[in-house]
Amino acid sequence: MYKKSMINQISVTSDIFLNLLYVILSAICIVPILLVLVISFTDEHEIIMNGYSFLPERFSTEAYKFVLSAGEGILNAYGVSIFTAVVGTVLSVSVITLYAYPLSRSNFKYKKLFSFLAFFTMIFGGGLVPWYMVYSQLFRIRNTIWILIFPYLMNAWFVMIMRTFIKTSVPESLIESAKIDGASEFRTFFSIVLPLLKPGIATIGLLSCLGYWNDWYLPLVFLTERKLYNIQYLMYQTLSNIQFLTSGSANFSELGMVLADLPGESARMAVAVVSIGPIIFAYGFFQKYFIKGLTIGAIKG
Amino acid sequence: MKTKMTMVARILVSVLCLALLLTGCGKTVTPSASDSATPKASDSATPQESSENKPLENVKITFYCVGDSQDMTHIEEAVNEYLKDTLNITLEYECFGWGDTYTPKINPMLAAGEPIDIVFTSNWAANYRVNAVNGYFRELNDFLAKYPAIESVTGKDFLNATQINGKNYALPCNKEQAHNWGFLLKKDLVQEFGIDLKSIKSLEDLEPYFDKVLAEKPGITPLLAVQMDSPWHLLDWNTFSDDDVPGALYNDNRDTKVINQFLAPESIAQYKQMRDYFKKKYIHPDAATQDNFSAEMSTGKYFAFVAPMKPGKAVEMSAQTGIEWEEVFITPIVMSNREADGAMLAIPIGSKNPERAFQFIELLYTDAKLKNLMNYGVENRDYKFIGENRIEIIPNSGYASSGGWRFGDNFKDYLMAGEAENKAELWREYNKAGLPLINLGFVFDATNVANEVAACKDVVQTYYKQLFTGSVDPDPVVKEMEAAFKTAGADLVIAEMQKQFDEWLITNKK
Repeated sequence: MYKKSMINQISVTSDIFLNLLYVILSAICIVPILLVLVISFTDEHEIIMNGYSFLPERFSTEAYKFVLSAGEGILNAYGVSIFTAVVGTVLSVSVITLYAYPLSRSNFKYKKLFSFLAFFTMIFGGGLVPWYMVYSQLFRIRNTIWILIFPYLMNAWFVMIMRTFIKTSVPESLIESAKIDGASEFRTFFSIVLPLLKPGIATIGLLSCLGYWNDWYLPLVFLTERKLYNIQYLMYQTLSNIQFLTSGSANFSELGMVLADLPGESARMAVAVVSIGPIIFAYGFFQKYFIKGLTIGAIKG
Repeated sequence: MKTKMTMVARILVSVLCLALLLTGCGKTVTPSASDSATPKASDSATPQESSENKPLENVKITFYCVGDSQDMTHIEEAVNEYLKDTLNITLEYECFGWGDTYTPKINPMLAAGEPIDIVFTSNWAANYRVNAVNGYFRELNDFLAKYPAIESVTGKDFLNATQINGKNYALPCNKEQAHNWGFLLKKDLVQEFGIDLKSIKSLEDLEPYFDKVLAEKPGITPLLAVQMDSPWHLLDWNTFSDDDVPGALYNDNRDTKVINQFLAPESIAQYKQMRDYFKKKYIHPDAATQDNFSAEMSTGKYFAFVAPMKPGKAVEMSAQTGIEWEEVFITPIVMSNREADGAMLAIPIGSKNPERAFQFIELLYTDAKLKNLMNYGVENRDYKFIGENRIEIIPNSGYASSGGWRFGDNFKDYLMAGEAENKAELWREYNKAGLPLINLGFVFDATNVANEVAACKDVVQTYYKQLFTGSVDPDPVVKEMEAAFKTAGADLVIAEMQKQFDEWLITNKK
């Protein structure tokens, strides 16, 4: 017993070194977020005069008042973001799992064709305008909530991950035995295979949830209806407006008027804080499966 | 053996697929643009004739513009009500932010031929020349001939400056038609030092005051230089492309030889002067990393700033920054593509009612009430009159104007507090004083040297901030930059500009 634990023991110096390394790495990740949080609570005038600081002289909740009063738009965008993240994740995980499962079965006749179809999209795309036209003129879902969900439903890369995961974690003999016991294909999938896939589904779910939550590109290209803007796009728009208007690249008259109305530094940070809010909980929710998912594939292979 | 055969077959199949795909792309993309262009253009001719005498039936006009994205339903309603008995339209008016968010939204819509009636276009958002050449905008010469009001407002020259091969595809906003550069000086210091603004003719004239600021006003930096908004602008190179692409003429029309403005003797002399200033502490030690001139100006910690000029600039900047400024004109007033292509409205080819759209645009030039409604919002809700033709914005009304320079006749806008009574007059004089640059109307087509242009931009982005603010010793850095330009292919870019410009000069008989 004693000997066995010795094998995995590391020397004191490397222990300290490794711990220190991870303390530093975590600090690099956490400190900027902390700074954003502090700035969002800092008095606007102080930021202009003294710059950013971890210990501001004057605290202020003005920024959050601004966020709530500019209110409707932001709250509405919040709702859109949550809806797309939840519905999008559920739909996309279903599509990906249902696509990956047959591909993982060695007795599926058209395996190669369907693998190729998925794989092909990873390398070649149709280009922006044809892509746009498919959604706007063929499917006619531009300016609907579905445009924020459909384009990311199928992800070839996730299908590949899922397929490999099913292959390694669900033995073919298990499926055979289910068949011998008289289970139909659907029953085999839902009662036998699916429960074994929890870690894989959690991994794909987390990634696709993050993808939906962080997306600003679909609203950028497809939406002209302000009611459907999501929180990330509102943020992107605000930041890019500020960058454009303050960079001096626009030498136009009357820009001054616009500049005077721009939200301040602290308001921008407040929006950033608000927008990372719920997604942080998603990590906690998925984490236990996530770690399992990472290790499981490696050993059982 | 069998596996080898399948391998070969696989490779062959994939190559074939690729070939099919590539040819497929090449063929489908181009005609789809022009296909959708031609039939729709002829379709649009029909309502033109029918709309002569009968009362007009109500049509929907979609108008997409740059500007802050906000709820404008009440403006749409007011416009619809105002035009009910005349143009009878249902306006759908949306703004999609500025350059970075507007362009990626509009360009696919234009390419896909979506039924939009009016779009904002310019040289910096939803690129006018590119979209017009691609055939996404309707040619407007027939309408201009039928409805001459716009031409009488802007003047023929200004309208012609936006033509492509003799055809108008967009209507420029009637605003400043020229530009120049000068200083904004902090007003309280100007008064304290008793500076005679007329005596300031160049950067050197300010040096004694810079010393005075350093000696008497601790905490205040004499000269603010942020990125390109630095004394660099006083050279006012007549550039052929973006500000960070090499290739320019002198701004006094002395010759037609294209040079690399970043390596010109005048520029190098200025880098040295800036280095000198930097050492003398005229410039902030962190100048090379500052990026927001507006925020810096608001701190009140600077004495002088180089800014684009126009009548009333100081008033505007004072309102913006909360610090009082005085303006001094330095460079000569010139008329360049920058102004003509700066803000325009075009009618996309997908528009179902191009004539009604054009009539609506015309009203933005001729009907002051409509123009101000579109710009400032509804009276007593978004703004109120504080004098004849002078208004005050009502704060937090839910709508804030994004600027009257975006469309129509800018001189019809109501005046804001602090603006000169004779603003329009001053502007007309300013416009008249502008020297038309020799390359006015010429547009460089970068397709042949796209990679070189991108590489040159990288070079400029790497070096300009340090050089323009004097943060580094210019001698070794300029040598380094020169070498980097060589590898990037700056010579090719300039040769291509020269070639295209010479051809343009011949065809335009200048």
